[in-house]
Amino acid sequence: MADPKPLDDDEREELISYLDGEADAATAREVEAKLNRDPRVRAEADALRRTFDLLDFLPKPEPSANFTERTVTRVAAIPPGLLSVTRTRWRRWALGIGWAAALLVASVAGYAAAPMFHKSPPSTEPVLDVDQLLARDLRVIEQLRLYQPANDIYLLHELDRPELFGDEHAGH
Amino acid sequence: MTLIGETSAQMALRDPDIRLMLRVRADEPGAFQELVDAFQHRLVAVMHHLVGSAEEAEDLAQEVFLRVYRARKKYRPRSKFSTWLFTIANNLALNALRTRQRKPSVPLNVSDSGALGPRPAEQLVRDRASQPGQRLQQQELVGVIQRALENLNERQRVAVVLNKFEDMNYAEIAEVMDLTTQAVKSLLSRARTNLRLELQNYIYMDGEPIPGPSNEDA
Repeated sequence: MADPKPLDDDEREELISYLDGEADAATAREVEAKLNRDPRVRAEADALRRTFDLLDFLPKPEPSANFTERTVTRVAAIPPGLLSVTRTRWRRWALGIGWAAALLVASVAGYAAAPMFHKSPPSTEPVLDVDQLLARDLRVIEQLRLYQPANDIYLLHELDRPELFGDEHAGH
Repeated sequence: MTLIGETSAQMALRDPDIRLMLRVRADEPGAFQELVDAFQHRLVAVMHHLVGSAEEAEDLAQEVFLRVYRARKKYRPRSKFSTWLFTIANNLALNALRTRQRKPSVPLNVSDSGALGPRPAEQLVRDRASQPGQRLQQQELVGVIQRALENLNERQRVAVVLNKFEDMNYAEIAEVMDLTTQAVKSLLSRARTNLRLELQNYIYMDGEPIPGPSNEDA
């Protein structure tokens, strides 16, 4: 009795591969058995075969008469060293980019490593104890009472200019 | 032969096209022209079926030959030469189809004949189309078939064209399209099913009875 179900995708795939002569022996036997017992499969196979045969009606286009000549002429126009020139140009670019990248890496690495190698120079000032410090700043300490209202060293410098008070002293 | 290795030498002995390509690789004078002469018809025909325009098909076929020439020094005969050639053709055709996806294609003209006159299929169309009314029907049929082919997606179309017009088996199509054999099997199954649906009104003509359970039971 005929199988009333339509062909599913797998069955149709096997049927088409059988029609194309691509099915393995086991699949071919299976498809042939279906073809023998199921008129629907036979009808489907016939329709698929006829559909493919319809493509024979398409005209077979031919190249124009001078196709070979035009193609050979185009090939002859290719400079002999085209490939090698392209390769050389590419290599030159690659070399340039490589050098630029190496320079950039070296700069970054140098910048990052600089603090590790940097040592502050030894101080040339002698180390002073408390008495020496007091002796050095004695003049400032003695005048501290006068300096305190000024609050600003720049003001003291300004006041120290002789043209402001020098003549007054000279006049008295 | 030491230059191309033992396997390549064995393949070259089996396939005359490989021997020709090896002559092209060796820059033998006239070899490239011989190669173009030998493959131009097949290549232009396949391209035409794929892109639908005679002019574009020739341009693409020419580009395939140029690429073959440029790559000649790198050529290694690992499979049939035609497989390598149609791999290049497939890549170019798919690029071209994707580039002009939304442009309308030019339908093939039934009167496109070769220099040697109409081919058998064309002759069959002409014989059937001896009367003006029939000629119109045949032209319409060719248009319908062409549209059905165009309505397949690019990969289905390539697989069908290589299978039908280049008589390639599934394994060869798989190599050209960089797919597995199983993938090609599925691709062709879907393509053939789509074609069958699109063309079902045209497969039983001239009053032929449509076979099927009802007819057989009757």
